[in-house]
Amino acid sequence: MWKALTDPLRYPKPAVMTEAIANKSAKVEPVPSKKRRAKDWKGTLARIWGYLAERKLKLMLVLFMVLLTSALTLLGPYLIGIAIDDFLARDAGQMWVWFLVGLAVVYILNSVTSWLQNIWMIEIAQETVYRMRVDLFSHLHQLPIPFFGKRQQGELMSRVTNDIENVSSTLNSSAIQIFSSVLTLIGTLVVMLWLSPLLTLITFLVVPLMALGMRWITKRTGPLYRERQKNLGDLNGYIEETLSGEKIIKAFAQEQRVIGEFGERNDRIRLSGFWAQTISGFIPKLMNGLNNLSFGLIAGVGGILAIKGMITVGVIVIFVEYARQFTRPLNDLANQWNTLLSAIAGAERVFEILDESVEAEDEQHAVHVDHIEGAVVFDDVSFAYDTGDGDNTLQHISFTAEPGEMIALVGPTGAGKTTLIQLISRFYNADQGKITIDGRDIQSIKRESLRSHTAFVLQDSFLFEGTVMDNIRYGRLDATDAEVQDAARLANAHSFIERLPEGYNHRLNRDGGGISQGQRQLINIARALLADPSILVLDEATSSIDTVTEIKIQEGLQRLMEGRTSFVIAHRLNTIRAADQILVLRDGQILEKGSHDQLLDTGGFYSDLFYSQLHSSDARQA
Amino acid sequence: MTVLFSFLKKYRVAAFLALGMMLVELALELLQPFLISKIIDDGVTQKDISTVLLWGGILTGGTIIAFFAGIFGSFYAAHASQGLGYDLREAVYNKVQSFSYALFNRFSSSSLITRLTNDITQLQDMVFMGLRFMLRMPLLVVGSSVMALLVNVKLGLLLVVGIPILLFFVIIIMRKASGLFQQVQRRLDTVNSVMQENLTGMRLIRVFVRKNHERQRFEERSSNLMQGTVSALRLTETTMPFILLITNASIIAVLWYGHLDIIVGQASVGEVVAIINYAMRTMGALSAFSMIVASFSRAKASAERIQEVMFTVEDERPLDNQDQYVAGSSSVSASQSSDVYEVGVAFRQVSFHYPGTEAQVLKNIDFTARAGVTTAIMGSTGSGKSSLVQLILRLYDSDQGEIDVLDRRIQELDDHQLRGLIGYVPQEIVLFTGSIRENIAWGYEHATLEEIQEAARIAQIHDTIMNLPHGYDTLLGQRGVNLSGGQKQRISIARALVRRPAILLLDDSTSALDVRTESLLLDALRELSCTTLLITQKISSTIRADQVLLLSDGQLIAQGDHTHLLATSELYQQIYASQFGKEELEHVESVN
Repeated sequence: MWKALTDPLRYPKPAVMTEAIANKSAKVEPVPSKKRRAKDWKGTLARIWGYLAERKLKLMLVLFMVLLTSALTLLGPYLIGIAIDDFLARDAGQMWVWFLVGLAVVYILNSVTSWLQNIWMIEIAQETVYRMRVDLFSHLHQLPIPFFGKRQQGELMSRVTNDIENVSSTLNSSAIQIFSSVLTLIGTLVVMLWLSPLLTLITFLVVPLMALGMRWITKRTGPLYRERQKNLGDLNGYIEETLSGEKIIKAFAQEQRVIGEFGERNDRIRLSGFWAQTISGFIPKLMNGLNNLSFGLIAGVGGILAIKGMITVGVIVIFVEYARQFTRPLNDLANQWNTLLSAIAGAERVFEILDESVEAEDEQHAVHVDHIEGAVVFDDVSFAYDTGDGDNTLQHISFTAEPGEMIALVGPTGAGKTTLIQLISRFYNADQGKITIDGRDIQSIKRESLRSHTAFVLQDSFLFEGTVMDNIRYGRLDATDAEVQDAARLANAHSFIERLPEGYNHRLNRDGGGISQGQRQLINIARALLADPSILVLDEATSSIDTVTEIKIQEGLQRLMEGRTSFVIAHRLNTIRAADQILVLRDGQILEKGSHDQLLDTGGFYSDLFYSQLHSSDARQA
Repeated sequence: MTVLFSFLKKYRVAAFLALGMMLVELALELLQPFLISKIIDDGVTQKDISTVLLWGGILTGGTIIAFFAGIFGSFYAAHASQGLGYDLREAVYNKVQSFSYALFNRFSSSSLITRLTNDITQLQDMVFMGLRFMLRMPLLVVGSSVMALLVNVKLGLLLVVGIPILLFFVIIIMRKASGLFQQVQRRLDTVNSVMQENLTGMRLIRVFVRKNHERQRFEERSSNLMQGTVSALRLTETTMPFILLITNASIIAVLWYGHLDIIVGQASVGEVVAIINYAMRTMGALSAFSMIVASFSRAKASAERIQEVMFTVEDERPLDNQDQYVAGSSSVSASQSSDVYEVGVAFRQVSFHYPGTEAQVLKNIDFTARAGVTTAIMGSTGSGKSSLVQLILRLYDSDQGEIDVLDRRIQELDDHQLRGLIGYVPQEIVLFTGSIRENIAWGYEHATLEEIQEAARIAQIHDTIMNLPHGYDTLLGQRGVNLSGGQKQRISIARALVRRPAILLLDDSTSALDVRTESLLLDALRELSCTTLLITQKISSTIRADQVLLLSDGQLIAQGDHTHLLATSELYQQIYASQFGKEELEHVESVN
């Protein structure tokens, strides 16, 4: 029992909080990061405002309604004060009835305007959130591919969901609250001053205390909210990663382990969440307390003043009500300030992604090309991944592929084969040298134009949730069902698709829905074939497919690819015998180049490789 | 909501304390109008300054007590809500991890992620608000009513009479809103799933230039989410004007009848003022109502989604031994040598179909792999090779037949023991964020660096790793992007080897390796004494195996060693020809 009582008071203080406090004591030297942060907030707010401002007309309407509501809200208590002073104890006959009717009208209008302002604001807020979401999504599609290598997928997802949700729930209510709070605050102040400057002054005695308290609180909650959102992102990342790897976790019986690691992250989020919530929970208490304090002061002082005949009882009643009305917006502002902090923490994380620089813009003179013949030339191309170790992944690569040729890339794993074709797709740009297609530098062709004339079957086969038909059609969105089936036939996928419970309408899910890895590759190939490209790139596209099927696919491809250029990465050398050129890569360099027969005649690395495949069979038989 | 309360039980002390603190605050707050009416009636009207000071002082003292009660309450409320969130996340995650693989696949991962984060956050926030504001509201309403009745029964009744109408209205709204919010959460799932898909398939989307297509899909779903949210919030927002109207109507009534009563001397001005004050307080409390209705309905929807996961029951598994699930037992039997056993892996008349589908993936599979031997499994795409291997791991259970592992029926072992004996390398490579060393050690937590390096050496990846800038401490990005496919494959092989498994299952794990590396790897594997099942497409691998199983369409159509199959099996000959050319095959045949 005692433990349950004291535990909540014994949470360790997270580092971000103690740092935030420490910053205060180190006043002598203004901490530069703090300054930057404050500026960031303003920037973040300005950007949120930018989104809101896109709905100017509606926003103006809302503002107008807020104005009306605030005026009506002020009018209510004032009228009641009059009622108490002028009518309540007196018989005013008809006047009294009219007065009450007037009051009723004010009240009804108040209901209507406050309803309208909220409804409209919700629409604006949700549209804003929608646009932020879509912007973020579109922006992700413009980010350079290496970006995704560095980020955890689930952590990115958390920004689109948790962080944006955070902004969403704040915008729904806070924006209005803040406007109306400020308006009510000003309005109340004016009326109060007009009624009794002295009581107004007394009411104001608590304001400096409020300011102090708020400063103390927000200094802590700001970093805490940021920390909480970060922890949530981490947790999301971990969940995503472990759920994607669930098969491995099960197969290795590592459930307890991931549960433990999950627990650590869960713990961190509890800690930052606890402090953010506790300290922000102080705000309404502080406001309420100070509010009540001014309440007591007004009642006391007002009472004395009334006894002395300086004010009427009605004024006290009005003041008590106004004092509440005065502190209520302050209270609201304080509360909103807090949710605002948490939303800013969320928005910051969203904008952080939006600020990532996009895939380098197409060069200014980059053009759209309608047709590509498929002559690909690498002229002394070198390239290194941006890992900082300075090792060039590709060194001085030069070769020429004529339209219609099949180029095979062969070499040990890690030789740079995939990297080479990624340069053709322009996921990366060459550091040195030049790549041309049809004699045109690929940097002078718009990326999208280039990519729409090339089709890739990537190493990791990927299927979307949806039917088999949809997945193949992804290669060319306007393809007819018959064309889809033709492509599937060409990829040797038709027969197995036909045997699926619902054929082409069979739905594929995360685990593939009873589809094997090899079959996934077949679907991926069908998708690329449907695209009807000028250049086709197969990056180990058939690695999980049995060799009998593979040969059939190759035969089909050869027919299809007449007059088009293809690049094939393969380990099974037999399947690339027919290639016009074989480039043998090792350690990022072209070691040998030539047709199958030429290379065998030369008797180099390739012929070693080839014979070792054959010998591996002979060796055992002997 | 039951799940919520059962989890909240643990924090009942904190929760009640938080509520208690709130009650203290509330009581003091409710006394205020009463005290003010005292000041007016006993002090101002009687012109008695000492009475004014007395009540004023009490008012101030109470304020200070309320303030501190509020501060403490904040700690307890945060403890209860954050603790609840923590426990729920843990429980749901544990539950998900305890699912069998088949059951796990019933939920989409984006939906599970939303449930674990967003849904639980909704509940957690609701509890915090509940302990701090929400319960305060009905209490304030009840308290105000009681106080109003105490001050003046007749006038007080005018205030009280509107409350049942309000309640009725609110309950109806809440019911409808909770349904709407459930829809909102479902739509959030769909938004998340497009997002997840796009992040995973980013490269593919880029090369097919489908940005706009995807954007359209995303916009459509986001716009559904937006509309859903707007209509749900719009509904909860209607509570507000309604509440305002009702309470304001009672204020007017109080003024009207109060006026009449004062004239005839049945009520004092102070009383009317107090009741109006209570009415305004009620209204103030109710002003947060639409927010509360919204968050309560939302939390209710989220609670149901969490329950859906929590209450999912495992289908009964045949001959199950699952209850002895012991934490950390995986390492106990991991290094058993297979010399002691006779049978490594044996299938007897095993048939299997995936849950939720009808087609049989495996039909009457029957074979024995003696302990310590290497068995290669070959067959066309979709012939059931991977399914066969997954049955050994009991990722799925077979429909019929018996599977033995190391002289024992697999059902005799619990999942932990069984999987502790096995090193598995899946076809699809999964590496985790972290260093290479961590990724290999993932197979066996307590592995020393030597053991890790030893495993890497066998997997033919040691030299490559040593050439990396930070060696074994090189970090792998999301899905290990900075390594080539073949390198990742070998790391995942090392991860299986570091367990020193008695049984090694390789599901086409050498597909991205060049012939040389592959043969070095296979030779190194032969040195180990474990029972190995190797799915492969390459003749170069089957040649080295002690026996080869040839699958076609879920049936085992031939078994034997390479020479035997080459002589007898037509399919095997076809495969051989596809890899070495017809001439080579004819040459071999002529030799035989």
